[in-house]
Amino acid sequence: MEGSQHLAELPLGRPRSHVAAALDWLRARATTTPGKLSMVLAGLIAAIVLFGIVATAAERSRAQAAQAARAQTERLLVQAANLYTKLSDANATVATALLSGGSEPPAKRALYLQDLRAASNALSTLTREAGGSARSRAGLGVVSAELPIYSGLVESARANNEQGFPIGAAYLRRASALLTGTVLPAADGIYAAEARRLGDDYGSGTTSTTLVAFIVASAIVLSLLALAQWYVARTSHRILNVLMLAATAVLLVVSIWGVVGLLTEQSSLSSARRNGSDPLEVLTATRILLSRAQGDQSLALVDRGTDEADPRDFGAVMRVLEPSRGTRGLIGEVAALAGQNGTSGPASQLEAGFASYRAETAQIAALENGGQIEPAIQRAPAASTTFDHLNVSLADQVAAAQRRFTRSASSATSAVSALSLAIPLLTVVVAALVFLALRERINEYR
Amino acid sequence: MRRTIAQLALFALVAATLFGCGASSDPAQRTALAALATTTPQPSPSKRLPPCRPGPNLTASLRPPAPMPAPGAMPAGSFMAQIERRHHLIAGVNDGFLGFAYLNPSTGHIDGFEIDLVRQLAKAIFGNPNAYVLKALTVSQRNRFVMDGNVDIVVDAETITCKNKEQVDFSTPYYDAHQRVLVPSGSSAQGLPNLGGQRVCATTNSAPIPVIQQYPTHPIAVGASQAIDCLVYLQEGAGRIAAISTDDSILEGFKAQDPNTRIVGTSLAPVPYGMAISKAHPGFVRFVNGVLAQVRTDGTWASLYRKWLRKFSPTSPPPSPPQPTYTR
Repeated sequence: MEGSQHLAELPLGRPRSHVAAALDWLRARATTTPGKLSMVLAGLIAAIVLFGIVATAAERSRAQAAQAARAQTERLLVQAANLYTKLSDANATVATALLSGGSEPPAKRALYLQDLRAASNALSTLTREAGGSARSRAGLGVVSAELPIYSGLVESARANNEQGFPIGAAYLRRASALLTGTVLPAADGIYAAEARRLGDDYGSGTTSTTLVAFIVASAIVLSLLALAQWYVARTSHRILNVLMLAATAVLLVVSIWGVVGLLTEQSSLSSARRNGSDPLEVLTATRILLSRAQGDQSLALVDRGTDEADPRDFGAVMRVLEPSRGTRGLIGEVAALAGQNGTSGPASQLEAGFASYRAETAQIAALENGGQIEPAIQRAPAASTTFDHLNVSLADQVAAAQRRFTRSASSATSAVSALSLAIPLLTVVVAALVFLALRERINEYR
Repeated sequence: MRRTIAQLALFALVAATLFGCGASSDPAQRTALAALATTTPQPSPSKRLPPCRPGPNLTASLRPPAPMPAPGAMPAGSFMAQIERRHHLIAGVNDGFLGFAYLNPSTGHIDGFEIDLVRQLAKAIFGNPNAYVLKALTVSQRNRFVMDGNVDIVVDAETITCKNKEQVDFSTPYYDAHQRVLVPSGSSAQGLPNLGGQRVCATTNSAPIPVIQQYPTHPIAVGASQAIDCLVYLQEGAGRIAAISTDDSILEGFKAQDPNTRIVGTSLAPVPYGMAISKAHPGFVRFVNGVLAQVRTDGTWASLYRKWLRKFSPTSPPPSPPQPTYTR
């Protein structure tokens, strides 16, 4: 209130400001033809520069998303799945090696160390490159902090087991509980975070907003160019202006090139998703869950009934994998996606392999529930072999999905790679042509 | 202008195609992530029972039948006859109780004093000491498994307490343990009197827990799902627990596995071990008591003690088997 009163007391009639003076001058100029033409020129140049900015931003955001999906996120997703499966497999291996009697078989020991090493490698790759979400970082923190504790507990278990002490089994249970209760859920969280990140990359790599912004910007500038030509033709009574026509043609080329480029990128990335990463995600999820089921089964067997949680978890995981209650289950989902890609062969092998795995584990569980632990333990290697075959088949399919992904994702990035140079360069050309064309007209009035 | 309209039309077409494509891609990720979010189903918690008071004849059990049925000829209609038809006895046991029942890492079998008692039962029913299968149970599973009929009998260092007796029936005692205290060798504590305010570990829901809690110096009771886990806590150090207080029979096994510990103090409470049997099968309780009476008198008990437990306390005189009292 005070401010406005103060303003009201200012003496009137004095030159108000420089801005007002400039406006007066412009208004005066706008009444003359060269003045009008200059303003048209200024407006057009501004619109073209704006188009250049919008178009470049649109192309950049698409290109970056496609690049991120291709070069980083998808690879990290596979690493996150590796982290989970290798840890889970290592745990199942060491549990069976230590608790099924006799001294620890050297081959099992080697397999355990190999899995643990692979998990560590996946962990360091993820730590180095997955700077992304807070959830991913928190999960990585948990895994890095608990993994040495886990392996320490396993070594205590081995040392005590070697001496025939039952406390070895207690250490192993503790190690296992740490892994399945804390480390694996964290690894699961990292995987989910990476999967979501890939989804986000797809989102910004295929979002129609970018395309719409590009099309709208081109449409506006093309319309303005058309209007300007109509105006110039009317004032100068000349129908054709070669430079203006050239500018329009170049802009049209940029627009069409841009739209085609963005559409190609979009459809390549969509096909990378449909044929590459969709099957990849379902396959890696299947791998993770199968490895969890196998871990549950081994641990339940070596615990001889002490632990009721493992059989319960095994049941829950198998229900997600197999078709039940109207859903086709994750295994069925793999087959359905494989059908879309025309690669049903390996998927039907997977279905058959899973069916025999389910039958074998059901037999083991039946023996176990009947208290027939020894026969159940004797059958375990057969189920374990089937599991290994399934794992190999899944790894092959993951690799195939990765290849399909890389192929489509590279064509997505190459679709827009030339645009990143072409858009700014051709925008400058358009602006220059418009400037030259209109300056010629303006000079006619001097 | 016409060009603009054409472009708008193109844009509309493009947008329609893309929205169609974009939506079909999401379900795969949703399915995969939903599948990974599978959690372990949890059992419903069991009801809490009101506290009970032990009567004078806590360890008294049903009188054995006279005469005992011959092996392989169990009386028709009896629970033993049902077990006989199945061709094996199902016993719930421990797998981490050195000497009594433990998973022998070199054989992969559960062995021990209690397993040999199970063999005696199998021999009495079938005439074959190997006609048994074992289920390793945790303390919180034992009574539930007996009540649900998942096991025929539990031979798992289960203390005959009035609280347990509300859920299951017990045989006559087959071992008399005493609750004592195990501390690290470096500890100056001589028992619960020196452990006021400190953390003392025992199996969750087991008889030693209230003894620790009600001790005048008020030690803090810490529960573990199995007694052996207490030894893991003690070995992990970092002040997690100061001592373990449970049956001396268990503590002797702990001392054998970890020479840097010692057993201190006098008996805090008697801990009679009985075999747990469903309340639905009093005939089986009588039968088991008959087998135990024979095991006590024919020297089997003493030889099993020498075989499995003598090595843990070689200096003290070997105990005699606990004497039974019978009701009805």
